[in-house]
Amino acid sequence: MRREQAQGRRAARPVVAFAVLGTLLAVGQAGCAALVLADALHGAGSELWPLLAGFAIFALLRAGLVYASERAAFAAGAAARRRLRTDALSRLLAAGPALLRRHHSADLTAVVVDRIEAVDGLFARWMPAATVAVIGPIPVLIAAGWADPVAGLVLLLCGLAVPVIMAAAGIGAAVASRRQFLALSRLQARFVDRIRGIATIVLYRRAEAEAAALSQAADELGRRTMRVLRVAFLSSAGLDVATAVALVVLAVRYGMALLAGQLASPAIALFVLLLVPEFFAPLRSFAAAYQDRLHATGAAEALIDLPPLPEPAPAREIRTVAAQGVTVAFEDVRLVWDPARGPALDGLTFRVPAGETLILAGPSGAGKSTVIEILLGFVRPDSGRVTINGADITDLVPQALSRLTAWIGQRPVLFAGSIRDNIRFARPEASDAEVEEAAGAARVDRFSDKLPEGLDTRIGEGGYGLSGGQAQRVAIARAYLKNAPLLLLDEPTAHLDPATEAEVLDSLRRLALGRTVILASHAAAAHAFGGRRLDLRAGRAAAAARGAA
Amino acid sequence: MIRDLLRILKLWRSRTGWLVAGLVLSIAALAAGVGLMADSGVTIATAVASGVLFAPAALRGLGTARVVLRYAERLATHAATFRALADLRVWFFRRLAHGSAGGLGFRQAGDVLARMVGDIEALDGLYIRIIVPLAGAVLLLPALLILIGWRTPWLAIAIGVLFVLGAFLLPWRAARAAAGSGARLATASGALRVAVLDGLTGLREVRAFAAEGRTLAAVQAREAALLAAQHDLARRTALAGAGAFLCAQGAVLAVLIAAGANPAGAVAAAFLVVAAFEAVGGLPRAGALAGHAAAAARRVLAITDAPDPVPDPATPAPMPAGAAIRFEAVHFRWLPDRPPVFDGLALDIPQGSRVALLGPSGAGKSTLAALLLKVAAPQQGRVVLGGTDLADLAADEVRARIAWLSQSTHLFDDTIRRNLLLARPDADEDALWAALDAAQIGETVRALPDQLDTWVGEGGHRFSGGQGRRLALARALLAEAPILILDEPAAGLDADTERDFLTTLNGVAEGRTVILIAHRLTGVERLDRIWRLSGGKAVAAAA
Repeated sequence: MRREQAQGRRAARPVVAFAVLGTLLAVGQAGCAALVLADALHGAGSELWPLLAGFAIFALLRAGLVYASERAAFAAGAAARRRLRTDALSRLLAAGPALLRRHHSADLTAVVVDRIEAVDGLFARWMPAATVAVIGPIPVLIAAGWADPVAGLVLLLCGLAVPVIMAAAGIGAAVASRRQFLALSRLQARFVDRIRGIATIVLYRRAEAEAAALSQAADELGRRTMRVLRVAFLSSAGLDVATAVALVVLAVRYGMALLAGQLASPAIALFVLLLVPEFFAPLRSFAAAYQDRLHATGAAEALIDLPPLPEPAPAREIRTVAAQGVTVAFEDVRLVWDPARGPALDGLTFRVPAGETLILAGPSGAGKSTVIEILLGFVRPDSGRVTINGADITDLVPQALSRLTAWIGQRPVLFAGSIRDNIRFARPEASDAEVEEAAGAARVDRFSDKLPEGLDTRIGEGGYGLSGGQAQRVAIARAYLKNAPLLLLDEPTAHLDPATEAEVLDSLRRLALGRTVILASHAAAAHAFGGRRLDLRAGRAAAAARGAA
Repeated sequence: MIRDLLRILKLWRSRTGWLVAGLVLSIAALAAGVGLMADSGVTIATAVASGVLFAPAALRGLGTARVVLRYAERLATHAATFRALADLRVWFFRRLAHGSAGGLGFRQAGDVLARMVGDIEALDGLYIRIIVPLAGAVLLLPALLILIGWRTPWLAIAIGVLFVLGAFLLPWRAARAAAGSGARLATASGALRVAVLDGLTGLREVRAFAAEGRTLAAVQAREAALLAAQHDLARRTALAGAGAFLCAQGAVLAVLIAAGANPAGAVAAAFLVVAAFEAVGGLPRAGALAGHAAAAARRVLAITDAPDPVPDPATPAPMPAGAAIRFEAVHFRWLPDRPPVFDGLALDIPQGSRVALLGPSGAGKSTLAALLLKVAAPQQGRVVLGGTDLADLAADEVRARIAWLSQSTHLFDDTIRRNLLLARPDADEDALWAALDAAQIGETVRALPDQLDTWVGEGGHRFSGGQGRRLALARALLAEAPILILDEPAAGLDADTERDFLTTLNGVAEGRTVILIAHRLTGVERLDRIWRLSGGKAVAAAA
């Protein structure tokens, strides 16, 4: 986060520069206006056009700066969001499927989408405003001091008083208001939570009770918040006091001086008075941006909780493994997901020669899926060796491992897009003909032909919904297209009805021809495949026997 | 656009006192601020022109008034906002609960809900950031015209035109631009959300196909589209802001040009104009915000205006004693242009029996639950509970007889105790533990340091999927309803956990009617009867 802030401050520089430049032009305008007005008061009637033209030109330039600075602020916020989002998503992708054991994908999505949008104000408004609040008043102060040192002193004292008053009124209040802000966002979260679960509430007939509770919680929070705000607003009042004191003191001073004839020209008086709002403007923007900061801080905290990016892979030589005919071996492999539940794999040893099929059987929790997840690189064994054609799996870079394996799980995830896109996900460079061939081999065409747009029918979010069996065939088509030598099947028919199961198994059997296959499955699927059977019990091989073909 | 916002404002009628107080104080504070600046000018001008020190006392008074009024204004407007926003949320919650809520739950429209919440939040700034400054601008205009116009009418007209341009027309254009680009922004941010959700839900696929780079690139492309849409809006808002700034400068320039005619008045007018335009400088941004808020208001109102899909009968029939369920030639479709879900469905579920309803996705399994819970009503035929047509019964009383558990049953971000009490608010400690034990999660909860007062986290995420489902089951059991509908209760769980959970179900709910809705059986379920749904009808299968 520190590095982010440094980058954010750098991105804020143009905004700060535009603001300071704008202040300088404002000083120039105040000068022009003061001279024109003083001239009118004296009735001198001298040539005023240059001054008026100067005022107008400065005004045009300042308008340009207002525009440029808003665009620069947007750019700073956009750059920060782009950077943070890429970083957050990279971390999640690097952490991989193990994340889904602990987090819901919708929650992670909220972090990547909504929380990062919420950070915008921090970079687009708060950071520039914080710098401008310090730098911005300085040129005004110098100009006023040059015109009238006493006025400069008055402004300086009033300006310095602002942080002092704010601190005196606000240190306790700031802490309290931050806590209050948290309470407010918690109430907001509660509202969101109740809306999400509204069907549950309605069906338990608790809608009225919940509405009343929500209303009461909001009222109570409102009352408590107002108690805090009563103090917190004193610090805003401090800014108002400083502004009013500066104006009143200076106006009275100049009024008396002019009356006593101590001031040669009213121009200086007018100049200084016109500068007063400019002097306090950066401080006012700063106070306004404080809300943005509070909003963003909570969101930024969620980003810190993300898993760290892994160290870049050590410069180990990349093992390539001959793709044809893959032999897989487990040697005394141990893995613990959760110490409370005991080991998932407890010294498992087996070997699958090239082109053969191994059926992993056993009750739930025996470790079947864990074997598959190790071979997919989702998780590393705690001890022991897993080899593919003799090469240790931990030596393979993920891309090399991915090239070797095709995987079909219980429920394939289909992405928003056409069926064709979803099949091509397996190999983006595949031609249309290859995709269609894979679709044919997996019998996807049997249902896609009946859809309005065939393979180009949109599925996933907002599209056509596929049944479990249809989705599984898309997954099989992906495996055909990928054409990897090692096929990993993890209960591929667990969620299908018997008729669909038979069809899918038929497709899978054809896909399995000539490949090394590891199938984790219950009885029915296992019967459909000939091959060696390995019974797992609590992460160990119970008995190895030749299965009936 | 205005009409939608006005309807939202009407919801705040009961808070009129606070809202008006905030407005009055805000205008008074504005008047004091503008007066203070103008008076400073007057002081100088009269000192020079007439040799009299005019009004330093008034100056001090205005200074004090400004500080005090600003403080009071901040308090009043914030107090008003808190109350108004709370009202809006509660109103929205109530409307949703009485309208389409059940349907949303059955169609699992999580994304729709998230968007609705975002829309409600977009209305937050309506009062403080739009209405209050706009009201100030409306009152400033005649004040400016009168104060300047009684000496130099043509100057007043020029300044008035510039003020209208800067304070009303440009913000209005910003509002139009924001409302117009709202649809584009919503599409772009929806596309981004889908891309991220796809990549994260499919983390296994992404890893298995080594698609990390592609997934990241897809998200970055969607993000670029969103940023482009936002950039376009930001550019227009910035343009409106710069335009409003030029109006203010033009007004000061006009005063300077006119200075010769009435020097003393000009000094006062210059200070007055500077202060007045400064007060409305934020309006273009508020305009953009208003455009957003109006679009959000339209969507919120569209949701709450949807009619109650199953209105209660005017005089509900008394609840029957029995709990036998019968579907008689039921025809149903969710929308007129969709194919029928049920096409003459006939089904008998005797009281106290345990039945399974099987069928592929889309066969209408969950729709059946929706009909029983009176979330939807059949277009033809009738559903009979204990001998009485459901259509003649009050939804609340029907739901009191039925406990519903599905994969979308929500665990609230609250304690275990309060999640359970939702089903039966008067349940005592023993009843809670009995329900937890029946759902076979009692031991787990006893082992937690805070036991029943353990916080379950957002969507129950502090517990595993299986544990969460057991907590929801305990809640359904606590309801003591004679009918228990289990709508794919184990969906989304891994195979092992699913089997354990279904085994638990066999031992619970003795004596109640249990309706298990699933796409297939795992073989561990204890059932009296199995129905298979297909072609909009139910076919009896062997138990």
